[in-house]
Amino acid sequence: MFQNRLEGLVLALPAVLFTATLFLLPVLVLLSEGFKVDDTWSLQGYADFISKPLNQMVFFRTLKLGFLVAGVSAVIGYATAFSIFHLPPKHRGRIFGLVVLPLMISPVARTYAWIVILGRTGIVNDAIVGLGLSDTPIRLLFTETAVFLGLLQLFMPLMIISLISAMENLPNDAVAAARVLGANWLQVFLKVILPLTKEGLVIGGTLVFTGSLTAYITPAILGGAKVLMLETLLYQRVNVANDFVSAGIIATILITMSFGSNLLFKRIATART
Amino acid sequence: MKYLIFAVIGAILTVQSAVAADKKLTISVYSFAQDAYKKTLYDPFEEICDCELVIETGNSVERMAKIEANAANPVIDMAVISSHDALALARKGLLQNLDVSKLSNYNDLYEAAKNPLGENWAVGYTFYASSIVYRSDLVQINSWKDLLSPELAGRVALPNITGTQGPLTLFMLSKALGHQGYGFEETIDNIGAQADDIVTFYVRSSQLAQLMNQEEVIAAPVGRFAWSRFSNSPLPFVWANPKEGQTGGMNVMIMTKGNGNEELAYQFMDYWLSVESQTRIANAKIDSPANKKVKVSDEVAEGLTYGAELIDSLNIISPADIIDNREGWVERWNTKVIK
Repeated sequence: MFQNRLEGLVLALPAVLFTATLFLLPVLVLLSEGFKVDDTWSLQGYADFISKPLNQMVFFRTLKLGFLVAGVSAVIGYATAFSIFHLPPKHRGRIFGLVVLPLMISPVARTYAWIVILGRTGIVNDAIVGLGLSDTPIRLLFTETAVFLGLLQLFMPLMIISLISAMENLPNDAVAAARVLGANWLQVFLKVILPLTKEGLVIGGTLVFTGSLTAYITPAILGGAKVLMLETLLYQRVNVANDFVSAGIIATILITMSFGSNLLFKRIATART
Repeated sequence: MKYLIFAVIGAILTVQSAVAADKKLTISVYSFAQDAYKKTLYDPFEEICDCELVIETGNSVERMAKIEANAANPVIDMAVISSHDALALARKGLLQNLDVSKLSNYNDLYEAAKNPLGENWAVGYTFYASSIVYRSDLVQINSWKDLLSPELAGRVALPNITGTQGPLTLFMLSKALGHQGYGFEETIDNIGAQADDIVTFYVRSSQLAQLMNQEEVIAAPVGRFAWSRFSNSPLPFVWANPKEGQTGGMNVMIMTKGNGNEELAYQFMDYWLSVESQTRIANAKIDSPANKKVKVSDEVAEGLTYGAELIDSLNIISPADIIDNREGWVERWNTKVIK
């Protein structure tokens, strides 16, 4: 396309400079704080951070909820994407619009809706008491369950969109052919659909997992101080304790987890084929 | 000739406006109620001083970090901040001792507002009481230890240790439970043992107001400045008078060391402490007055921490005790309560 490589580089230069100065440089400065103790380079900050039981608990909770949200999103996402993909084209657009719609609403509004839904006087507790499952309303807010539901609702559309996009590449007769050859639905899914849509699963899984790791508003509102996650802990360390060393360490852990998840999902997808 | 006159007048006006523009005072304040502050304090002062007020806002940590980062060449001339944060700045050598003879309203302040940190590091400009707000139709609160009673299990919220109200609640709970000292170890352990009975450890009073209006929570400690969020509710909320008393705190004015704008800063501080300004601020229900000559109606007083009797009765934890113990509280809280 270009006469020579230089033309391409020159065109890319403004974006590269912009990203380097306004994104990479500040991120590196922030991350470097974690490797300093009293202005000297050291890994002592990491050792201190990891040794604290609270930090270990927050790390594993973040990891657990990230995987749970990604896993459940994948299960529900496949079923939803498969059914949407097989709708007549005129209905497919409408239903796809419904999937995308929540992404256009502020996460703050979506999360606050859960406070009303999950509260003592909310519809979930009304149903629980109404159905006789409990005599009194049960506490759902400020629990891991509340954070899980909030994150699932927040990020599942990304999984569905990725999987629908991947299913566009699924040959029309592949599922029918497998069925004709005697495969049951589980075999169709494992041997045909999953291998042919693995790219969508990797992309969706990465988006949902990293989104769950780095979400702040939902864990802050639905979990609060009782369900600390790495992102809310980071905010607490910076805004309350002015502790940029811990903040740098948490940021490094989050970035590493994000990149690591992408590699892991790719590996899982490859292993299945 | 006519043009020459216009030119001279124009030049004079330009010089005058340049001089006025040169008179700038940079203040660092809490973010809340800035529109009301502009109307009741900033605009009237700018008219008097013929100067420009530059307002910097943010939370305490951000504002303190800015003062510390610019210690060699201060960009903030004066700030208003909590008394314990002010003490932390003073200990780092970032503040200058106030010459209170330049504050004509100083002698009109409540005794507690005069020199609250020693060595005239600061002067108090507002007080706030803290007590327990509760639903009178569902529960009765007579003591701070009622917060941990079986009747309130699963229906009570406590402030998180990282906020202003957190240490105040620990202070009063310790008093009610008969625990000694400012380490609050036993009290934190008590809360930790009952952590599952606490709905949440709230950070902002707005969040608490929502939870209480949604009937998720029926009792919680809160600052008087947030009382209007509850008193205007259709639900029967009551401000408790526990037998151990109410707690509270004070926010103070400070001046950064070597800012070079001291005269204007003193003028502004004195104006803020005047009966005129403090009355306007009180009537706007922004802050409670520290000037004892301020008189407000009963209706206005109801929303404030007002009057010598109430202020003198407050159980106030000293700024030094907060600074010296805060790290230990957070550490123990994270271990025993958040877990």
